[in-house]
Amino acid sequence: MIRAAKQSLLIAAKDLRIESRSRQTISLVVVLGILIVTVLGLGLGGQRPDGPAATAVLWVAYLFSGVLCFEKTMAVERQDGALAGLLLAPLDRGVIYLGKLLSNVVLMFAVAGVITPVGILFFGFDLSKAPLGFLAIMGMSMLGFAAVGTLFAAMVSSSRLQGGLLAMVVFPITLPLVIASTQLTSRLYQGDETWNGSAFAVLVAFDAIFLVVSWLAFEWVIEP
Amino acid sequence: MSTLATQPGTASTAPQTPAALQTISLQKRIDDRPILRDINLTVAPGQYVALLGANGAGKSTLLKILATLIPPSDGRLMLFGETVGWDGWAARRRIGLIGHQSMLYRDLSALENLIFFGKLYGIASSAARAVTLLKAVDLFDRADDPVKSLSRGMMQRVAIARALVHDPELLLADEPFDGLDAPSCRALEKLLAQLQQAGKTVVLANHDIDQSLRLSQRTVVLRKGRVVIDQPSQELTPPAILKEMERA
Repeated sequence: MIRAAKQSLLIAAKDLRIESRSRQTISLVVVLGILIVTVLGLGLGGQRPDGPAATAVLWVAYLFSGVLCFEKTMAVERQDGALAGLLLAPLDRGVIYLGKLLSNVVLMFAVAGVITPVGILFFGFDLSKAPLGFLAIMGMSMLGFAAVGTLFAAMVSSSRLQGGLLAMVVFPITLPLVIASTQLTSRLYQGDETWNGSAFAVLVAFDAIFLVVSWLAFEWVIEP
Repeated sequence: MSTLATQPGTASTAPQTPAALQTISLQKRIDDRPILRDINLTVAPGQYVALLGANGAGKSTLLKILATLIPPSDGRLMLFGETVGWDGWAARRRIGLIGHQSMLYRDLSALENLIFFGKLYGIASSAARAVTLLKAVDLFDRADDPVKSLSRGMMQRVAIARALVHDPELLLADEPFDGLDAPSCRALEKLLAQLQQAGKTVVLANHDIDQSLRLSQRTVVLRKGRVVIDQPSQELTPPAILKEMERA
């Protein structure tokens, strides 16, 4: 167990080191995210949208940036057949999944760390009342989103359709997560401190189900 | 050579010693198309086997199965006397694969790549092992350069070091000479011979018939997924192999 955790961390650290060198993913994804928020923000005619609409705009940016992120981190493995090198190592393929998931979550957080302030500026979010609640919702949402995205990026990476296909598969699956996250975040945005238990339960259930299913399924979808 | 193989083998082929690899009625079908048919091979420890065949004969698929990268559709694979399941972790510790591609991360340096793979294999002193291997493949002076800045020949030498990082007993090489210049080819030939002398089992898939006969002890020829020749290399001639490969 400890060995598996160390190996997952090793894979994630390797991904982040590669990203810190090339900056191929983060620069592209951040620019895309900012563009989405800006274009949609301006498209709303300068009017400040209500809570759900504003958080939905943010989620559109997270979704598209996330898909690009998942594709790029898997593309690193496909380059020069590096994935085969990983698959040859004496480790459970679930360990590779967890490593890739971890690096995707870190990258997603880094991207959200740039996109969200832009959204705050555009839409005048006031998250000062519950910053930790916002972070917790974001953390759980990103984890569930990355759990699905990492699995399907591995599947799609051997396909020629790639980009379009990943978005087509991941977006519908993550719909419950997006709805729950949007509801929870917009309540925070509006200063509503009443607890939305059902939306939170959806987040927890989504994360639990897709983490386990994706971890188990990864072995069968990953191909050298 | 002692730098490459940390525990030189004995190359013994005593009857009690299990075969380094054995395939029993191995089959592979992709989309119902047979790629490998009824492959029965037994390779003794320390043997140097050349695997020949035209494009599409099934050489690369066979090597991927032997490396446990993909499962066979049917039949059994045994490595060092033990049947390999689909999750053959233990077997993977004893196998090294040099493929068409380098299997390296281009944005990491040669040293970082080797340390990373060394740690994945659970090697305690992976940094020291990486340095030893880079010296052995004569690339220590480029250890900190990103792999993407290396020439094809240099990259292939790092790929070989990666395949040897865990000191495997069985080395599978899938057309490792492709794209190499003459000096790099000679260096690689020498390296593979040294590994075999150190007791490693080498299975080399290759296009060059003359080179394969010169390097190996035994030659296996595949045609349309079947073994059509399996003989000591010294008993074979290039025209005979070519004729068998071209047969309809």
